[in-house]
Amino acid sequence: MSGFDLNELELAPPEVVRQAARDFAIALSETPQFKAYEEAIERLNHDAAAQRTIDAFQSKQQSLQAMLMLNAVSAADKAELQRLQNAFSSAPTVVAYAQAQADLMAICQASADWLSEAIGLNYAAACGSGCC
Amino acid sequence: MTNANLNQLPELMAVTQALAENLLASEPFVIYQQASARFNADPQARGLIERLSQAQADLRRRQMGRGVTQTDVDQLRALQREVQSNDVIVDYVTTQQSAVAYLREINQEISLLIGSDFAALAGRSSC
Repeated sequence: MSGFDLNELELAPPEVVRQAARDFAIALSETPQFKAYEEAIERLNHDAAAQRTIDAFQSKQQSLQAMLMLNAVSAADKAELQRLQNAFSSAPTVVAYAQAQADLMAICQASADWLSEAIGLNYAAACGSGCC
Repeated sequence: MTNANLNQLPELMAVTQALAENLLASEPFVIYQQASARFNADPQARGLIERLSQAQADLRRRQMGRGVTQTDVDQLRALQREVQSNDVIVDYVTTQQSAVAYLREINQEISLLIGSDFAALAGRSSC
């Protein structure tokens, strides 16, 4: 820590900050978007037909992984992979899940943007594990 | 979604504001803000960072054109040493790292309660 004087009376105690984080989490979990997201996951998990289409796509994708990395997938395999992807992405429970996730992410992003602007650090980037 | 859309969720808006205020008043962030203010008010420190950034960009360009000389590398290293020995910059960087570490703890607290990584939900994929 720096040697600069800090007025402890003006500092938020750690437990108060953590409580604010918990209050935020509770409020987020009570939004219609969060509840819709949880319900969409539940419905998707119980949709055997949708699960089969997802499994079929993932299985095909894994079997072609090496060829995909080499960009050497045959036209027939590409078409089959696309057909399987279309099959799962058009399943009603998958469509509903994707929409619910997008709606939840929108409010999470709005909240994080607000926090980022206030604290002068990009919240998602600072806490994220990065990508690619 | 913008903040205007959060207006439809007043409870979430209120707790987001409260969390922002508490984070800003937490010790790691207060110290970081002080270091940040010192850095922003120090033309020498800012100039050093700008020079380092420019030198790194120049070196990358030359690497692509295979025109890097030992002198280029030596100059960049000298600049890096200068940056690393500048107290204002070092303080700015280390206090920012502490603030980020603290923010991650707070994110973990939130994520544990909602059962998902909040930062991941809030991230915008650039991949």
